[in-house]
Amino acid sequence: MSCNYLPFLALLLSIGGAICLSNPAHAAAESEGLLRINTTIQTHNVAQPWELNQPSRRRGLGAVLEDGNILTTGEMAANATYIEFESADGAHTVPAEVIAIDYEANLALLKPEAGADGEWIKTLGTLPTGGSAKPGEEVDIWQLEDNGDAIRTAGSIRSVDLLSTFASGHFFLCYEVKASMQSASSSYTLPVTRDGKLIGILASYNSKDQICDVVSPDILNQFLKDVRGGTHEGFPSLGIATVLTEDPQFRKWLGLREDQGGIYVSRVLPGSGAAESGLQEGDVILTLDGHGIDRRGYYQDASYGRLSWSHLVRGSKQVGEKLALVIMRDGKEKNLEATLRRPPDSLIPGHMHDKPPPYLIKGGLVFQELTRSYLEAFGKEWRSRAPLDLLDALNNPEDYEEGRSRLVFLSRVIRTPATIGYDQVNNRIVTEANGQKITDMKSLVSALQNPKDGVHSIRIDDVPYVIYLDPKASDSVDKALLQRGLPALERLP
Amino acid sequence: MKKLLLPVGGAVLLCSGPFSMGQKGPAAANADIYKSVVRIECATQSADYRTPWNSGRFGGGTGSGFMIGPNQFMTNAHVVSNANRVLITRRGSAQKHPARVIHIAHDCDLALLEVEDETPFEGLKYLEFGDVPALESQVRAIGYPVGGDRISVTRGVVSRIDFRPYAHSIVDSHLVVQIDAAINPGNSGGPVLQDGKVVGVAFQGLRQADNTGYMIPTPVIKRFLKDVGDGSYDKYVDLGITEFPLFNPAMRKALQVPENGLGVMVASVLPTGPCDGIMEPGDVLLSIDGKPVDNAGNIEVEGEKVVLHEVVERKFAGDEVALEFLRKGEKKNVTITLKAFPHSRIYAVRYGERPRFVFFAGLVFQPLDRNLYSTYGFDSPRVRKIFQNYVEDAIFKEREDVVVITRVESDRLTSFITGFKGTVVDEINGEKVRDLNHAYELLYADNLPEFITIKCNGLARPIVIPAAEVDSANKRIMKQNGIFRSHYLGEKQPAS
Repeated sequence: MSCNYLPFLALLLSIGGAICLSNPAHAAAESEGLLRINTTIQTHNVAQPWELNQPSRRRGLGAVLEDGNILTTGEMAANATYIEFESADGAHTVPAEVIAIDYEANLALLKPEAGADGEWIKTLGTLPTGGSAKPGEEVDIWQLEDNGDAIRTAGSIRSVDLLSTFASGHFFLCYEVKASMQSASSSYTLPVTRDGKLIGILASYNSKDQICDVVSPDILNQFLKDVRGGTHEGFPSLGIATVLTEDPQFRKWLGLREDQGGIYVSRVLPGSGAAESGLQEGDVILTLDGHGIDRRGYYQDASYGRLSWSHLVRGSKQVGEKLALVIMRDGKEKNLEATLRRPPDSLIPGHMHDKPPPYLIKGGLVFQELTRSYLEAFGKEWRSRAPLDLLDALNNPEDYEEGRSRLVFLSRVIRTPATIGYDQVNNRIVTEANGQKITDMKSLVSALQNPKDGVHSIRIDDVPYVIYLDPKASDSVDKALLQRGLPALERLP
Repeated sequence: MKKLLLPVGGAVLLCSGPFSMGQKGPAAANADIYKSVVRIECATQSADYRTPWNSGRFGGGTGSGFMIGPNQFMTNAHVVSNANRVLITRRGSAQKHPARVIHIAHDCDLALLEVEDETPFEGLKYLEFGDVPALESQVRAIGYPVGGDRISVTRGVVSRIDFRPYAHSIVDSHLVVQIDAAINPGNSGGPVLQDGKVVGVAFQGLRQADNTGYMIPTPVIKRFLKDVGDGSYDKYVDLGITEFPLFNPAMRKALQVPENGLGVMVASVLPTGPCDGIMEPGDVLLSIDGKPVDNAGNIEVEGEKVVLHEVVERKFAGDEVALEFLRKGEKKNVTITLKAFPHSRIYAVRYGERPRFVFFAGLVFQPLDRNLYSTYGFDSPRVRKIFQNYVEDAIFKEREDVVVITRVESDRLTSFITGFKGTVVDEINGEKVRDLNHAYELLYADNLPEFITIKCNGLARPIVIPAAEVDSANKRIMKQNGIFRSHYLGEKQPAS
């Protein structure tokens, strides 16, 4: 193929012409264990939680594992209303379903939908999973051309770090791979191999720095081990918040010696493995499973060198396994043993993927359970623009627990005959309804079944503090709302 | 060097620029009035809350004023706020006469001045005050606005009478009269006249609208003059309640309010305010001083609908207010006594005050108020929430001052003290901090513990400073950063 033809070809491609290029330099995707995944993603509208947002499409790649299941990123499958596998050359497709998805580690395991004809997948090659790689080692990143050929881009592992690639606040071992990637179709999520073995899934690529974040084989294998154990439980957690002990004055006050490291425990979540083990706020963790933790929270990992202590918990163990701690309390060392658990359910969930937000509409008042996603919807500057009381609850959930399992709030008021005078009331935390304490959406639904003295009274945390609704008027408004196209007045978790 | 256009809430204060001079008088009466309108030139020194030990910024501006009595000149508070030097110039004169502020009321933006030597002003006519002008009646604004040196007169009609915020302090709302006469920067403090009498003091404009000038009407002016009659200004008083309109039928029914359009719900009662312990949230206020209150919280005064607080607007601390309200269907009549409520001034812009602060081991502590808040623009939701709820949640009962760490100066002692800037100090050495003086006493105590611990609201760990290092660190860091004073605690001096 002569260079002279390229502009011509580009033109044809841009108008959608299918031109078959045979390029002997490319490998056949079929034998590499790669296929395309097409998903339709639809999230819920946070302002009108009964509605779905406009659907969007995502095209990425999956790696065919030896057991025939397909591994991809969690982001690829999160909030998907439809998933489909497509062969590299586009000749075959089959609807797919999720076996397990982990939003925290950003991994998902898929398979062809039961009863659908996915026989063609069995003709593809497979990718066995590999073990840890080291910084400096070469890896291959796979993409697919439009024509179905596989493109292999060589890269090298620059560094190893704990990164959050999807669900915010969850950090897992990732490789940062330096590679010069080209743009190609279906490049949303890409398998990474070394010596023909799958060692990671590329979660994001920064074209400016040419650095890819790749979910590491350690995490990938933990995930598969968890899934193959029967049910997918998810990654364990100790359930603590910590502060570094770099500050020499702070160290002196804690009674830490110069040759010691240690991280300061600033919060122990109730119901966590840490709480069960007897760990307390103010303790300093000196070692975990025999690994000394330095003042910045790093330990010496056998394969990777300096790594954050969090990997010893989240990246190296399964739920139910034990962790040995040596701590410093009141100047004395103490041994503790913690059984690792899933992170305790928090008052304000960080993410609500694949879970439609619970809501209740009464007479035009719209109630929801607070999630981080709701606050993030206030835009890029959400940390200063979101309602102050709700932000404070997100930052200090312990101050709002008070027997609650979720924080129910009045998100907005639809203007109806029943809500005259309440137009300006929004984003207020609900404390009581008809004399009953509100601890989650379910409790609100049941409280609103029983108006007292012929009126609904709902207590909120700011002016006017109580909202009254006429039961008859609100029932007829509810009926009218349903007639005017509202699908349902409530959705419970 | 102009102090025009204080950009607050869209409202613009009108005080500014250039110079004045002589002219042939038109009608004799007018000439007398013109003579009594003076130009005020003010040199200012405004506190710098970012470096509270420093002198602040020097600047200045001009405005207008008028003579209302023997050696008594009225102007706006914002014309002479933060004043170092005030000069008054008569119409047609080149002489600048040194003057001083006798009374200044930041909550209603009025001030009274006197000149050191009153002889040049003898024989001038004292302008008299009239009433609130009628809607659509004609008025004249006189003053020394930008655009020329000589006196300026503009004419317009009264286009609205309303209860609106006063931009100078941000938080105070009083009666204002809107006029469509052109009033511009420099007009501030000048009289607005009708039939030869002063019916208002021009004081602010609106940035995004044409032909909207605002004046302070005579009820506010008269109240101010009455207040300072005893030699000091005692500020406005407040009912200390928040109302919520009773527009909702179910709400009216639940609160057993008759369907006659009257009654507004009391949503909250200010702790320690005049209604604390007398009214409760959920009470329905029916009348105030015998004037019926409607569902929106309005009353009728002199034929105009105004918010019910207008009744209190004309009263003073110690005055009584008769309230009639409904609680669980039962009518109650009470008389409350108004009192000063200084804590709500945390939300008002402060002028002419030296910022209080304490410096300790590289940390700068300052009390939270509007000035500090607008200087630093705190982004921590906790600080914002404490500021917002300071009065309503009676935070002032436990902490007279909300002490904030505003700066952490670089030093080897502070290199790892990160994330503490812009946080509220809860405890020092295990003691809850009540105010800035208390913080000072705890930090500069004679017998310090081995480690000084400072616990900040919402932060995981305390700041720790070894007592042994404090003296040398203080000296070193103060020298490095040009901080020549370790604290300023205001009028109140520490106990020790």
